[in-house]
Amino acid sequence: MESVILAASECDVREEIICAPADVLELFFFEDALFSIGGFNFTRTVFLIFLAMFIVLGLLYFGLRKGEKVPSKFSAAIEALVTFVKEDIAIGIIGPDGVKYAPYLLAVFMFVIVGNLFEVTPLINFPITSRMAIPLFISLVTWVIFVIVGFKKNGIRYLTDLIWPKSVPVALRWLVGIIEFVSTFLLRPITLAVRLFANLVAGHLMLTLLLASGWIFVSNVGDIGARSLIGLPWFVFGLGIYLFEIVVAVLQAYIITLLSAVYVQTSVHPEH
Amino acid sequence: MEEIKGAIALVGYGLAAIGPGIGIGIVVGNAIQAMARQPEAAGMARTTMFLGIAFTEALALIGFVLFFIA
Repeated sequence: MESVILAASECDVREEIICAPADVLELFFFEDALFSIGGFNFTRTVFLIFLAMFIVLGLLYFGLRKGEKVPSKFSAAIEALVTFVKEDIAIGIIGPDGVKYAPYLLAVFMFVIVGNLFEVTPLINFPITSRMAIPLFISLVTWVIFVIVGFKKNGIRYLTDLIWPKSVPVALRWLVGIIEFVSTFLLRPITLAVRLFANLVAGHLMLTLLLASGWIFVSNVGDIGARSLIGLPWFVFGLGIYLFEIVVAVLQAYIITLLSAVYVQTSVHPEH
Repeated sequence: MEEIKGAIALVGYGLAAIGPGIGIGIVVGNAIQAMARQPEAAGMARTTMFLGIAFTEALALIGFVLFFIA
């Protein structure tokens, strides 16, 4: 157990009231390579990324394959999920021509929800979306899509309407233009990535520190006697957070998909 | 200053959480009011509520990230 809980080794159960490693960042980095191919280290995080990819592919393949006369409950559930992303998010937000973006939104939704739920999956317990690379990559792809769509649908007017908006008084146009430009091209991708990243980092930190503290204090009962009761509230609080984090994992996957759709929508119909 | 660095970052995060806390309260409160007044528009109000929460929450999360960077 000591090797699984990274925070365990440095914890002084006689002095501290909660176990936290000196640098919490070490809870997010797995330096040990499982194996390496041509100088590229295949760490636990990379393994989990591929695992998430195969889970998503498997869910979609077995959920949506043709040939079943009566769809099973599993197929119906996957179909409901796909319909939700297609009807409610793609068509509901972007409009009738949002069907085109449904595959991308579905890919983002499925990958992020699986990656987020790794946080509360026993024996995995590490959300891959708490490493900045994945949220940042997703938000950059969204950024490229909505910028290209904006220029394709509106030509150069996409840019000129943004930095010289006709709907505000002339004296204020330059100010609104600067704000709009910065918020559209810089803040949107950053906040989209940071929102997902920070939520999962916070959740992983809380879960690790609380549950690890609870376990370490209770398991050292022979050593420290009544002081091990400190572990019980940590453990109960940690289990409460555990349930909360399941909700957060699903909600954040929904929100990043929803915001991707909203950003594409503002490029398709820039007047709103 | 090195020995009180952690404490200052904590205070900074606490300050960063005030505004979004109030903001999310207003967003959710008004969304519930809208849903109660027009239950048939509840779906739309819920989607917009999550959007509003997402935008408001970003500030608190930036504060949280800065706590680790600082």
